[in-house]
Amino acid sequence: MSSPDPAAPSSAPVRVLLVEDDELMRRSFTVALERYGYVMESAADGLTGLERFREGAFDLLVLDVMLPGLDGIGLCRKVRESSLVPILMMSARGDGLDIVAGLEAGADDYVVKPVETGVLVARIRSLLRRATYAPSLPAPSLPAQPRPADEVLAFGDLTIDTGALEVAVAGSPVALTPTELKLLLEFAAHPGIVLERHTLLRNVWDYGWDGDSRVVDLCVQRLRGKLGRDRIETVRGFGYKLRR
Amino acid sequence: MTAEARKRRVSLRWKIAALAAATACLVVAAVGVLVHVWTVDDIRGRGERRVHNGALAALDVYKRSGVLSDGGELDPPRLPASLRDLSDDHVHTAFDEHVEGNSGPTAWGALRTDGPGSPVLAVPYNLSSEYHSLRRLDVSMAVASLVALLAAVPVAVYGAGLLARRLRRVSETAVRISAGDLDARTGPTKGGDEVADIAATVDRMADSLSRQLHTERRFTADVAHELRTPVGGLLAAVDLLPPGETEDLLRARVRDLRGLVEDLLEISRLDSGAEQVARARVPLGEVVREAVERTGYETRVAVEDAGSVETDPRRLERIVGNLVINAHKHGTAPVEVTVRGHLVVVRDHGPGYPADLLREGPRRFHTGAAERGTGHGLGLTIALAQARLLGAELVLANGPEGGAVATLRLPY
Repeated sequence: MSSPDPAAPSSAPVRVLLVEDDELMRRSFTVALERYGYVMESAADGLTGLERFREGAFDLLVLDVMLPGLDGIGLCRKVRESSLVPILMMSARGDGLDIVAGLEAGADDYVVKPVETGVLVARIRSLLRRATYAPSLPAPSLPAQPRPADEVLAFGDLTIDTGALEVAVAGSPVALTPTELKLLLEFAAHPGIVLERHTLLRNVWDYGWDGDSRVVDLCVQRLRGKLGRDRIETVRGFGYKLRR
Repeated sequence: MTAEARKRRVSLRWKIAALAAATACLVVAAVGVLVHVWTVDDIRGRGERRVHNGALAALDVYKRSGVLSDGGELDPPRLPASLRDLSDDHVHTAFDEHVEGNSGPTAWGALRTDGPGSPVLAVPYNLSSEYHSLRRLDVSMAVASLVALLAAVPVAVYGAGLLARRLRRVSETAVRISAGDLDARTGPTKGGDEVADIAATVDRMADSLSRQLHTERRFTADVAHELRTPVGGLLAAVDLLPPGETEDLLRARVRDLRGLVEDLLEISRLDSGAEQVARARVPLGEVVREAVERTGYETRVAVEDAGSVETDPRRLERIVGNLVINAHKHGTAPVEVTVRGHLVVVRDHGPGYPADLLREGPRRFHTGAAERGTGHGLGLTIALAQARLLGAELVLANGPEGGAVATLRLPY
């Protein structure tokens, strides 16, 4: 456990901002995640968290929902105004509305407290995989090199450049978070085919049957918000499909 | 109520009707007897007065003219014995109760015609016609009573029926409350009598019971909620300990604690009815296999022609996981999970479920007997509540050759 995380990039350390009001949890997670090779910063309340976020470049945010001052949902919304950084929410179990509100505010995934470090790390890794796969982050260290299978897919006036990982609607570029982009690419790989929620949960979020399908539903909602309402169709009882 | 008690049960309606009929009969009998006695008294009094006056009048005529008038007779042989030896000159009366044919009892008035030793002048008066009227009166009384009774009993049955129905409503409410439906209420009832009182009391009792239960549940939820943060802290902190035996022990305990808090929270949410089901069509075999794998226990899974079901896969996972963990904790390996059609059967080879669990269902914080091992007894409660939420049927039983068998039947 104390060995460095092999998945953590060795060249550029991953910077994680943890906003959590409980001191024991904040300090424990900071120490534990540092052992996995992440560079940790932490804040005890929402406003301090927002300040820290604006001061430094972070690769990932872990936000508690219940925070004094600005709560996790508000903080998430504020961050999303200017950034596509992956956001993981920590919600108390059973506060279903918190989860929905957090995902609506733009969080990519959530974990339920009390959470074990192992589970937290697994979710962080899954999020980071999406981020490195889709380097549309303002990260100059990752040049958008053209890949061999580069092609520009077009669905009506929606274009997806799978090499540069750029998405545009009617010529104007759309900024997508890594999770949103990965979800869209998943749809684009199977145009017109119905994708079950479970398939999407597995391929985009690395969940099994234990995953919460609301994560998919809310991410699809956010995609629709950015790309246009009727781009992704709901197939009742099954899942979603991208309109050709 | 036992079957035997139900058999012997007599509705309040019939009891009250019988009581009313008995009361009416009693009143009728008392009135009838009194009227009869008074009438007889009156008839005899009038007869006495009549023969008294008749005797005096007959004596007057006899003394003046020697003629026997007003039916008077001298020393008649039928004269009652008490009137044969009169010692004074006064009129004496007596009754001859002898009845023959249509003639009724006879009243006699008698007196000496001329001092001691003289003949006795006696005047009889037969009361047959009066007695005939009395019999007619008795018959009319009886007929009137019968008519009144015939009219009163249905009215009593009807009135008692209304009462019984109101009481039955109260009793039904009480039965529903005792069966666990704390929302059952009789509501306002008409009458403003004892039945309305008891209905209101039962409703108040249900109010206070549900308030108490609510408070208790609220308390459980609050405790679990409050425990979450410190337990979360512990869980995070325990990962920082250097690896070793102490760390393993501590981690296991903290995990148990976390499990307990989560179970309590889950039960609170299920109790509050705030849970929402996210249905999707899922392959049953796959979901069950994954759920069993996630428990981390060595379990045999056999999938026989399992179809797809429309259900909430996370809740299904939770049910199967809890059943498998329960089987490992309280039963004996090997634990077998079989998926067939829409059935999921989890069976172990232990002593089986304790009798009181099968009888009354699982109770919170109650693992039954020592042979079922340790555990806080929430797992089955959660599994049952989740199954109910999914519209599935979860049956707990013991197999023919021993071992606990839990059968989950999912809706199509």
